[in-house]
Amino acid sequence: METLSNGTTASPTATATVVSSATVTAPSSKLTQLAESLKLEHQFLRVPFEHYKKTIRANHRIVEKEMSAVISSVAEAADGDLSREDAVQHLNSLVSRLQGLKRKLEEGSRTEHLQAQRCRARLDHLESADTESLSEWNNTRLTRILVDYMLRLSYYDTAIKLAESCNIQDLVDVDVFHEAKKVIDALQNKEVAPALVWCADNKSRLKKSKSKFEFQLRLQEFIELLAFKSSTECATYKVLFETKQWDYLVDQFKQEFCRLYGMTLEPLLNIYLQAGLSALKTPFCYEDDCTKEDPLSQESFRNLALQLPFSKQHHSKLVCYITKELMDTENPPLVLPNGYVYSTKALEEMAAKNNGKITCPRTGSVYNYSAVVKAYIS
Amino acid sequence: MELNTIKDAFDRVAKKQKLSTSKSQEVIDQVGHEIEQALANIQSIHDSASPVDQKSILAELKTKLNMVGPHNQLEGSQKELSINLSKFPKVLDKFFNPDISKAYRNVDFDPHIVNQIIASHFYREGLFDIADCLINEAGEPELISLKSHFVEMHRILEAMRTRNLEPALNWASTNREQLKQIGSNLELKLHRLQFVEILQKRGRADALNYARTYLAPFASLHMDEIQKLMGCLLWAGKLDRSPYTELMAPSHWEKLAEELTRHLCTFLGQSYESPLSVAVAAGVEGLPTLLKLANVMAAKKQEWQAMKQLPVPVDLGKEFQFHSIFVCPVSRDQGSEENPPMLLPCGHVLCKQSITKLSKNNTRAFKCPYCPLDASVSQCRQLYF
Repeated sequence: METLSNGTTASPTATATVVSSATVTAPSSKLTQLAESLKLEHQFLRVPFEHYKKTIRANHRIVEKEMSAVISSVAEAADGDLSREDAVQHLNSLVSRLQGLKRKLEEGSRTEHLQAQRCRARLDHLESADTESLSEWNNTRLTRILVDYMLRLSYYDTAIKLAESCNIQDLVDVDVFHEAKKVIDALQNKEVAPALVWCADNKSRLKKSKSKFEFQLRLQEFIELLAFKSSTECATYKVLFETKQWDYLVDQFKQEFCRLYGMTLEPLLNIYLQAGLSALKTPFCYEDDCTKEDPLSQESFRNLALQLPFSKQHHSKLVCYITKELMDTENPPLVLPNGYVYSTKALEEMAAKNNGKITCPRTGSVYNYSAVVKAYIS
Repeated sequence: MELNTIKDAFDRVAKKQKLSTSKSQEVIDQVGHEIEQALANIQSIHDSASPVDQKSILAELKTKLNMVGPHNQLEGSQKELSINLSKFPKVLDKFFNPDISKAYRNVDFDPHIVNQIIASHFYREGLFDIADCLINEAGEPELISLKSHFVEMHRILEAMRTRNLEPALNWASTNREQLKQIGSNLELKLHRLQFVEILQKRGRADALNYARTYLAPFASLHMDEIQKLMGCLLWAGKLDRSPYTELMAPSHWEKLAEELTRHLCTFLGQSYESPLSVAVAAGVEGLPTLLKLANVMAAKKQEWQAMKQLPVPVDLGKEFQFHSIFVCPVSRDQGSEENPPMLLPCGHVLCKQSITKLSKNNTRAFKCPYCPLDASVSQCRQLYF
């Protein structure tokens, strides 16, 4: 079938050889790169672990509380003066109370088990990344990053759908955000109660990080109680009644929530996009003839990159205009008499097809292959 | 990556958790047992004159429970678990980068733009219902024309996966002129695939018919190819033992699907790779370097937020090189329109400003800094990459 080769078939096969030679010559650099990228996955392991820890602590607290209730109840009975029937009834109620506790404990330990499994699934997933099957793993990573973005922006339905369609429920934190959803929904309805409950549940952790969130909630609650409410004209106080205040509380909550679970405060997508766009951004990206393959050829990406720094290069990196391949020592750049530069591969192939003649694709000038000279780029 | 160390640390946590749970169960059972015992004792009192009454039984139960010491027992197992629970995050901190947002600039991305980028990505991947769900949930305007383009693309590719080339052939014939312009013979390749398929599934007569109708127009330009296909006709029913077995390889379908996708994307004015995937992949590659840099620059947070160009190069793989960037080996400046790369007669390349300096403002000949050859400014030529 290769007899059919022309310009379009030649380039994919050419890329294929470049790619294969690159993997042969540089497996170790690919490995270090993979290891470096895995080191970015802190949150991926931390969040399910925090969730697991939280469940363990909560379950333990229930056992402790129930236990001391039972003990002190026995002590009370022993100190009091109960009739025989009362004593029997009392002890019976304690027995059933303990049975209830046992059921709760079993239930709790099932949840703990599931969450431990989730932690293990993530460790296994990290372990499954190898240079052989990297593209599939990378696709999953992108999906994980997108689910994280949806959850943080409260697009829960999309997040759940996406996770299900890719079958990665164990690799994303839909459950964790379920807890956040209740509080956020309430805050958006101008209710502080669920947020206050959440604060109480996480009291010690919030105290440790010197959070002011509970105070802010109380303040808002207080303001809403005030009788003269939104009718005030005084600018200093009027601002306190604006709906913006509630959006602010939602933001505050999200931050506290992320901090508690060891998540980055920004969506992962924004972090990766920012890093990627900075690394990709060059002045050439904003020119009209920017190749479509560069994300920065698109208005939307250009817009996101507007305030980001340009990348820096210490060494020349030359891409052949014709084949879009890198020109290096293996495929050195050749200069036509008009000063335009193309890769050896591209010009050799063109010359072979056209009896040694070369047409500059940008100016249309025609030259003999013998007229090209090598350029040494260091 | 020392994943095994992390796994071991986690296993220790999980083990302690199990121990703690079974301890709790044991304590509950113990207490329950004592209470039931006391209950049985009380119930077995028949005559009220008995020396043991419920009061003494209860008092005895109280002492017994104190001896069991459920609190101490629970505390002991919990303590061990607690130690491991607080150890594990430290292990994570050690092996992972604890905060990948360190290199983040406080630049807010417009969520509408990001949402549209994501929706376009889903359309491109063929995840139409998820894209619609996002647009709906985020309240973004629909990207109607983009969606219909990608719906069409996926319809063609989906059909191809079930070995139905009809939609692909229709598309190729509609876009025949454009394909010709870029020198693609995609249409012939599709017909060839169809021909071999027909020959295998429906036999010689149908294949010959097909060739007459669809392959004939290509005969003048691609005689060799057509002759080869005609050769196949002789081997109908035993193509797998013919010299043409290569034509049956399923890889032809995959390759052609890829080529078709490339053309479809180009004609839609889209890139072949998803720009979102490319940008995020570049981020994954670039972030480790940026984080190291941010650590070094931690004291100068202001500078980090304000810089117009990164102070160090972030090396990305070949797949992210979209532009030719010339860096003068003498001045380390990036080539630009005002300061273009110039070819010296010896073949080395410097930027214009470096040459001006070396030649003392274009007044005299100079030596190339890389080889001892003499050069004059008039011999230098501007290069276009």
